[in-house]
Amino acid sequence: MSSNTSGWRHALAIAAAAGVSMLTMTAAMAVDVTVWAWDTNFNGAAMKEAASRYAPSHPDVNIKIDDSMQQEDIRQKLQTQLLAGDTTGLPDIVLIQDDVAQKYLQSFPGAFVPLSDSIDMTQFAPYKVAAATHDGKSYSLPFDSGVTGLFYRADYLKEAGYEADALQDLTWDKFIQIGKDVKAKTGHNLIALDLNGSGLIRVMMQSAGAWYFNADGTLNIVDNKPLKAALETYAKIWQADIVKPASGWTEFTGAFTSGETAVALNGVWMTGTIKSQPDQAGKWGVAPIPKLEGVEGATGYSNEGGSSWYVLSSGAGKDAAVDFLKSVWATDVDFYQKILVGQGAFSTWLPASAGEAYKASDDFFGGQPVWANFSEWQAKIPAIDYGIYTAEVDSAVVAQLPTVVKGGSVDEALKAINDQASQQMQ
Amino acid sequence: MANARLGRTEHIAGWTFIAPALVLLGIFMLYPILWSLWMSFQVGKGMNFSFGGFANIIRLTKDPVFIRALVNTLTFLVVQVPIMIGLALLAAVALNDPKLRFRGFFRTAIFLPCVTSLIAYSTLFKSMFATDGIVNKMLMGLWIIQEPIHWLQDPFWAKILIIIAITWRWTGYNMVFYLAALQNVDRSIYEAARIDGASGWHRFWYITVPMLKPVILFTTIISTIGTLQLFDEVNNITQGGPSDSTLTLSLYIYNLTFKFMPSFGYSATVSWVIVLLVAVLSFAQFVIARDRSK
Amino acid sequence: MTDQALPLATSRAEPRTGSFKVPHYVGRAITYLLLSLAAFVSIFPFFWMVVGATNRSVDIGIGKATFGDQLLVNATNFFTTVDAPRIFWNSAFIALVGTVLTLAISSLAGYGFEMFRSRFRERIFGLMLLLLSIPFAALMVPLFVMISQFKLVGTVAAVVLPGIASIFIIFYFRQATKAFPGELRDAARVDGLNEWQIFFYIYLPTMRSTYAAAIIIVFMANWNNYLWPLIVLNKPEQKTATLVISSLTSSYTPDFGMILFGTILATLPTLIIFFLLQRRFVEGMLGAVK
Repeated sequence: MSSNTSGWRHALAIAAAAGVSMLTMTAAMAVDVTVWAWDTNFNGAAMKEAASRYAPSHPDVNIKIDDSMQQEDIRQKLQTQLLAGDTTGLPDIVLIQDDVAQKYLQSFPGAFVPLSDSIDMTQFAPYKVAAATHDGKSYSLPFDSGVTGLFYRADYLKEAGYEADALQDLTWDKFIQIGKDVKAKTGHNLIALDLNGSGLIRVMMQSAGAWYFNADGTLNIVDNKPLKAALETYAKIWQADIVKPASGWTEFTGAFTSGETAVALNGVWMTGTIKSQPDQAGKWGVAPIPKLEGVEGATGYSNEGGSSWYVLSSGAGKDAAVDFLKSVWATDVDFYQKILVGQGAFSTWLPASAGEAYKASDDFFGGQPVWANFSEWQAKIPAIDYGIYTAEVDSAVVAQLPTVVKGGSVDEALKAINDQASQQMQ
Repeated sequence: MANARLGRTEHIAGWTFIAPALVLLGIFMLYPILWSLWMSFQVGKGMNFSFGGFANIIRLTKDPVFIRALVNTLTFLVVQVPIMIGLALLAAVALNDPKLRFRGFFRTAIFLPCVTSLIAYSTLFKSMFATDGIVNKMLMGLWIIQEPIHWLQDPFWAKILIIIAITWRWTGYNMVFYLAALQNVDRSIYEAARIDGASGWHRFWYITVPMLKPVILFTTIISTIGTLQLFDEVNNITQGGPSDSTLTLSLYIYNLTFKFMPSFGYSATVSWVIVLLVAVLSFAQFVIARDRSK
Repeated sequence: MTDQALPLATSRAEPRTGSFKVPHYVGRAITYLLLSLAAFVSIFPFFWMVVGATNRSVDIGIGKATFGDQLLVNATNFFTTVDAPRIFWNSAFIALVGTVLTLAISSLAGYGFEMFRSRFRERIFGLMLLLLSIPFAALMVPLFVMISQFKLVGTVAAVVLPGIASIFIIFYFRQATKAFPGELRDAARVDGLNEWQIFFYIYLPTMRSTYAAAIIIVFMANWNNYLWPLIVLNKPEQKTATLVISSLTSSYTPDFGMILFGTILATLPTLIIFFLLQRRFVEGMLGAVK
């Protein structure tokens, strides 16, 4: 800030001395674009790469990236400052996870710039655009994909008698059977699960095109067949004694990075974590996730996490911010290759998949064309509307999980989820 | 009666000493508090709220999550505060023995946890109490348990973990208060009791505890307030889970404000429940302390 | 660990009803044993933190309890990931300013409440204690609205101002002042000192230990402050060590070796303050409980 004002004074002085009006023009137009992101090695790094590509052609725009916050911190700051009506401390661009976006869009009308006015949204994965659309306008520049995959240790599965072919078109029953065989043959648990999160339940539910709500935003719990099937399946997985209970991120990721469990079923962003263990190169593979059986619309494709960039309409640099997003994030194929290789950030801008990096096969995954596969699966993810009460229902679901995995009635759990969530949505 | 003793200049001096603090408290405390009191009668989400009378209070009684948070908070209070106060007292009495060697070392060691940084504390406890963590390894190595305890996944053990964590962090802090107070207790009273044949336990219960009563009351009230506001531990170590088993009132207020669709009126109402509890409990503690002294 | 200490500790109660007396040296041995156990439990996490900082992230996840060879790697990663001098300077500056102002304002008030009692002031004091019980999460939004109206968002003043009239520290100083000998004050009055001179020339030097104890408590609270600085500080160059180091844990791939190295650094300042002042510390607490 201070260096900026002194630069401005300096420019003014030169302009006054030289009498060149052009110089004052550029100095007056020099603008800061601040960005909030939450992972130095991932979205922060990708944003820095984007900024470095934009800088040469736009010396008047100074993009400042702050990635020294946790995701919860960003939400808290955003919410407090929007509620207080003091936006002076807010950035121009902020990263928001897709499942909470509607809450902000609907609670703070006018706070965000509708990007669909200036950017062609048809070039992005439809399910990402849907998550940020409100009243016919879309507000986000979709960033990373959460397309899910079943990451598996090919060596463990082979020992249990399963080749890669056996993992296509899986059902959850088959998945459980594989787990039992792996445990019997290798002694390894199949998967680590955290009872404190509803991640897998949500992945299963979305794979059948459902979410917690009806189209009109009302709760859809008790008669939600995919949700019911998801809870039943989740309980079966736990009861098959193939789960390593994990709590928190470290323990969760530690379960497969240390070689303890045989699979990880997560969004594509997990690739970076899996590849962080170079000694496991060649031992991994990726397949589509299992399908829910007997549920209409069930697929092997779903989404977990993923976030998008939003431009705040209160920011002084909002026009520059929109131009920046448009000219790098919605234009530059090469940029997307760079962040895929560098950060493992899997694009939701569809033209990106035409680039070289997206076609390459990966020796870490036994030579599979991992990215091409993910691109194909991403196009098939059922789009859903996250609504504004996902956090409330999530906590109601999590409250029932310990009972459900111990064999409690799923119907009663659904009723309890419904009661708690409708109470919270008042 | 106090008024009678103070002269006019002293009266003015009294106000000048406390004025800066009162002004600051008036600005930074009273206004937000009045705001929250007013909000507790408003209903609605985000920026759209309207007067709702007692609607929030009625909502409290029907809210299963609030009931859970209340029960959890009271459980922590009833179980953890006495354990911590008891341990702190015992440690203080043991360390008050002038013949004890390495007193300085023990005192420093037991006090150390409370000067640790919050990030260190939460990161460490999560990793030490992981299923494969060092604590389970040690307990299994000592044949105390056969199977690893699922500290963070089991609703019961998660509560225990939080109790262990708070106790670890604050016992030494309370101990120092007692240690300091014990220096005031005349040793000759103990000698007389010993000659009369009173056992160690008797001396502790009938001499030490009554002598320390004002400090015990002070620390109990401070700990009660601290436990009713319990936030750091549950937010950083268990996030209130599993299954809301460690959700506290403070964390619920936080969720209502920042995690869910912002619902200020209701979260303000929940915070007034804490104020009410503190008022009732402090009053009860004063009354009990007074009865004992009769 | 701690939960075991309790049943063991209460077993000391047995001689009360037992028909025989436990020999003296047995009791002594049990005391040493329990104190050693308590000391072990208290210190172990610190040891664990140091061990963790020498290991790889994946080893920490599986509970490796021996020293590794990654200390230098973790340290290098830490210093390249975060701007350590800046964040520690920010933390230190905020903690120091906060501590000095809190002690000044709150000790004056504690002294004032005890030395000049009146019924009205007693009522105010009682009300203050009740205010102490409102959770901060509930006050954060209105407080922010106010700070933003004062145009203070993003300043050090916004971080420290709301905390410097600390009800707890006022309470603490009031208790401590009960031990301040009245004769000293009376003598000073005879010598013609006014009330403020008495505070600065007589009370302050006499209560050094009380201040030492308060410094530890207040510095610690300021250093560890998280929620509030998070909300009011917006520029990356203003962030404190507590904020930045805890943000490292939210990465998709957190490097726990590096994070633990950071937590060691974040713990050091409070430890140093404690060891510098610890000789006076117990004396200070002593004052507060007389």
